[in-house]
Amino acid sequence: MNYGPLLFLAAFFALAGSWFGFVLTPQAQVGRLQTTNMLGGATLYPQARPGLARQGLEVYRANGCADCHSQQVRQSGTVCNAVLSETGTNLPAVLAALLKLKPALSEPDARQWLSTLPRPVLEGLKPAEADAAVKVLNGAGAKAAVWIVPVGPDLARGWGKRRNVARDFIFDYPVALGSQRIGPDLANLSARQPDAGWHLRHLYAPRLEVKDSAMPPYRFLFERRKVERSPSPDAMVLPPGLAPPPGHEIVPKPEALALVAYLLSLRAEAPLFEAPLSVAPGPPAVAPGPTAGATAGAAAGTTSTNTAPTNAPATP
Amino acid sequence: MNFSSSQPPPMPPETAELGAGNMPVPVWLMVLLFVLLYAGMVFFDRYSGWFDAEVYMPYASLADLQAFQPRGGGSSLERGRAVYENICALCHNSDGKGKPGQAPLFVGSEWVMGSPNRMIRIPLSGLSGSVQVNGTEWNLSMPAMGASLSDDDLAAVLTYIRQSWGNKATAITPEQVKAVRAQVGARSQPWTTEQLKAIP
Amino acid sequence: MNPTASSEPAAASAIDVSCRRPLLVLLLSAAAWLVIASAFALICSIKFHSPDFLAGAAWLTYGRAHPAASSAFLYGFCLQSGLGVSLWLLARLGRTRLAHHWLATAGAVFWNLGVTVGVFGVLAGDRTGFEALELPGYATPMLFIGYALTGICGALTFHQRQQQPLYVSQWFVFAALFWFPWIYSTAQLLLVTFPVRGVMQSAIAWWYANNLRVVWLWLAGLGAVFYLVPKLARRELQNRNLALSAFWLILLFGSWGGIPNSAPLPAWMPALSTVGTVLTTVALLAVSLSVWKTAGRGAGPPGALENLPLRFVRFGALAFLVAGFMRVLGSIPPVSNVTDLTWFGPATDQLNTYGFFAMVSFGAAYWILPRVMGLDFPWARLARAHFWLASLGVVLLAAPLAIAGVLEGLKLRNPDNAFMDVVKATLPCLRLSTMGDLLMALGHAAFLANLAGLAARFYLPRAASLFSSLTLDLHKPAGAKP
Repeated sequence: MNYGPLLFLAAFFALAGSWFGFVLTPQAQVGRLQTTNMLGGATLYPQARPGLARQGLEVYRANGCADCHSQQVRQSGTVCNAVLSETGTNLPAVLAALLKLKPALSEPDARQWLSTLPRPVLEGLKPAEADAAVKVLNGAGAKAAVWIVPVGPDLARGWGKRRNVARDFIFDYPVALGSQRIGPDLANLSARQPDAGWHLRHLYAPRLEVKDSAMPPYRFLFERRKVERSPSPDAMVLPPGLAPPPGHEIVPKPEALALVAYLLSLRAEAPLFEAPLSVAPGPPAVAPGPTAGATAGAAAGTTSTNTAPTNAPATP
Repeated sequence: MNFSSSQPPPMPPETAELGAGNMPVPVWLMVLLFVLLYAGMVFFDRYSGWFDAEVYMPYASLADLQAFQPRGGGSSLERGRAVYENICALCHNSDGKGKPGQAPLFVGSEWVMGSPNRMIRIPLSGLSGSVQVNGTEWNLSMPAMGASLSDDDLAAVLTYIRQSWGNKATAITPEQVKAVRAQVGARSQPWTTEQLKAIP
Repeated sequence: MNPTASSEPAAASAIDVSCRRPLLVLLLSAAAWLVIASAFALICSIKFHSPDFLAGAAWLTYGRAHPAASSAFLYGFCLQSGLGVSLWLLARLGRTRLAHHWLATAGAVFWNLGVTVGVFGVLAGDRTGFEALELPGYATPMLFIGYALTGICGALTFHQRQQQPLYVSQWFVFAALFWFPWIYSTAQLLLVTFPVRGVMQSAIAWWYANNLRVVWLWLAGLGAVFYLVPKLARRELQNRNLALSAFWLILLFGSWGGIPNSAPLPAWMPALSTVGTVLTTVALLAVSLSVWKTAGRGAGPPGALENLPLRFVRFGALAFLVAGFMRVLGSIPPVSNVTDLTWFGPATDQLNTYGFFAMVSFGAAYWILPRVMGLDFPWARLARAHFWLASLGVVLLAAPLAIAGVLEGLKLRNPDNAFMDVVKATLPCLRLSTMGDLLMALGHAAFLANLAGLAARFYLPRAASLFSSLTLDLHKPAGAKP
């Protein structure tokens, strides 16, 4: 029997099976994702990265940042909290409801408890239990809501507020998911490190910003040049050991600025249908981009999740 | 190394090509295969969400995912969109721009952005007669598409209309819908523009 | 000996002679790429605990040296040595000479050209960004032409085989011949030429990486294993059905693996991938059982020529089993929650590629090349040193990385552990793995030296006699007879 064609067909159909499963079918599901509304708001998500950040993605790719940094925030579960935000007018009824839900509290403690709102009454509940608790509180005239909270080690570490989903990456080429965590996960970087100056210094000399960092210095992204008539506003401010000789300055090249713009556009905490979480209600307008500049300016530290998170650019 | 032209001694001959024995595969291996197949199916059932495009780990299924959607006062835009696509998009179009000769647009429409009391009444009882929408005159008749919807669903879809495609208006709550329903009562006549304008 | 009749099975020596030039080109260039890859890998390994090492040069930054190392290894070494051994197996097992062997030689030249251009491109910053497909798009045409020529040679050899019943190795090797161009062209088309949108790129990249680094290497490597083990143990393969069931299982389930559980993809994709990976356990067991039954309890007379290749192949089979089990474990959610995105993945991968495929390739080279060239390797001691360096190196590379991965994963589960502390905790293991990299690099250099020595031993006398015959007239004394 001539096994040649049989072998050929066997290999072909076996490969066609996995091709069908992992190339064709996902293309129909994931390959045509579009922007959508965020949950509870009218803001579109995701927004295409602005031009400089897109160039920064090219620098990210060319220098292989994805070899050490992942962009895959994971989530091990979701819980519901029953959060009380206002006591309303009927304080005795609310107190009674609170004591019913939290029997361990004594009455004076409960009054004390009610003075610092909003607060979660019960945490780590299943949806039905949380709904029941909120109904009890609302029935007493208070204003309570179910708060959806994703949980997991990555999230507890501050690397994100929810897991990454396919929609986070629809505008990227190449998608730099990475496969290792020799450095921290970067999917939600601009939420915790919005300072462009920090990023520039970290690229130039990582151990300046992070003690014992294993990251190599990327000095080739910067250039040393003579100071012309006056120092450049982009010039790096470095400690004596690393500073250039007098009369010279170290200035980031366009690649460095693009890379930092890309890093500052990394944000993946918008609530979506496939990755629900509760965010505090706020103005529906687009959030201003985090401020850049060589000086420290942790402006976005206060915005947290209130304003609509977008992939807004940094202006270098 | 010897670079002279004489070759080193040749390789000793090797044994002939061997065949392969033909005993059957051990039974325990086949049993293991089927056990693993079964375990695989059980695993897939629990962890895969059954090919749903929106179910990611750790959610087990679409129902599980829906249970965790933020409540937000009883309505959310996703729910509103679902209702919209089901009921309104046929005539008013998925992008809210309406269809000429069928239904007017919602984008920037004063009837959408204006008073909720007027907007809620339209799907509850219908609208007929001449109506001006963004300067264009429409003279068609809309049936009471929202009469059979629950308060939550109607509030959701109206909020969705008020907050999509660039529209920026406040949400409509199920309580508002309930109140309007109570006021309207058992009205079967569609509204006219004059009657609606009389409502604050 | 009548080697001219094409309808008769050719003698083994005639087959070997026909394979001489293609095999030499393929295996020698594979060994050269291996040494280059090992050098880059060593540099990368040092950078983990000494980040300032060679930090001034942009082309040597980790993000460029690492893909250069992995591309040189996969495309320069693995594919070429796999193809070389496959061609020889197809010829020998089909009892026919290598068909149009110049095709294979030309293919090897094009392939090397493509890999060279590609690696230079990666060092210049043109890497594609997809893990196993790093060579930039402009190197692809040369790679395609190279593979096409070599593959056609192999297919023709298979077609004109004189022995119709197939031996198990031919199943594996013939399937591998077609597997690579299909997966490579799909990946190139959908990732580089007409890129798909969003995370689909990652899904296809993972699919391709799995099909190349696991399925293709398994097919090509096991083809060699199922030939060499019975040959060197001088016993019939135990048994054909085990080997063929392994073949079908790898084909059916192996190509479904590769999607990690951490992926931002709908849940069904990692789940399906896990199921496929777990089902390859049966293939692992089938292969190991077969190898154990055939060559488990010592084989061949002591001191026989076959001992060194058999040692390599047995180590490779053991590494195959261990790496396969690590993969299976790492795909199950309770374990993958700890080991995903840690050093465990690279440990598994390197045990599979270096520990299994490279070691089996070495064993095959040490067995095949002397027969093909008609000469033994010049330095037997160097070959034995190579075995010890390579096996010790692989163990020192993979085991500490695996431990580091598990440690890292467990510590990262606890948010109270600062990230930098976790990184520092893995440093001792990384230093050990650098030792492993160093030993392996030395072993690979020994391999290249032996191969180059063999080629010199073969060609230099011929060159010397050619030279002397050309210059004989110059030294003729006046009046002497020619």
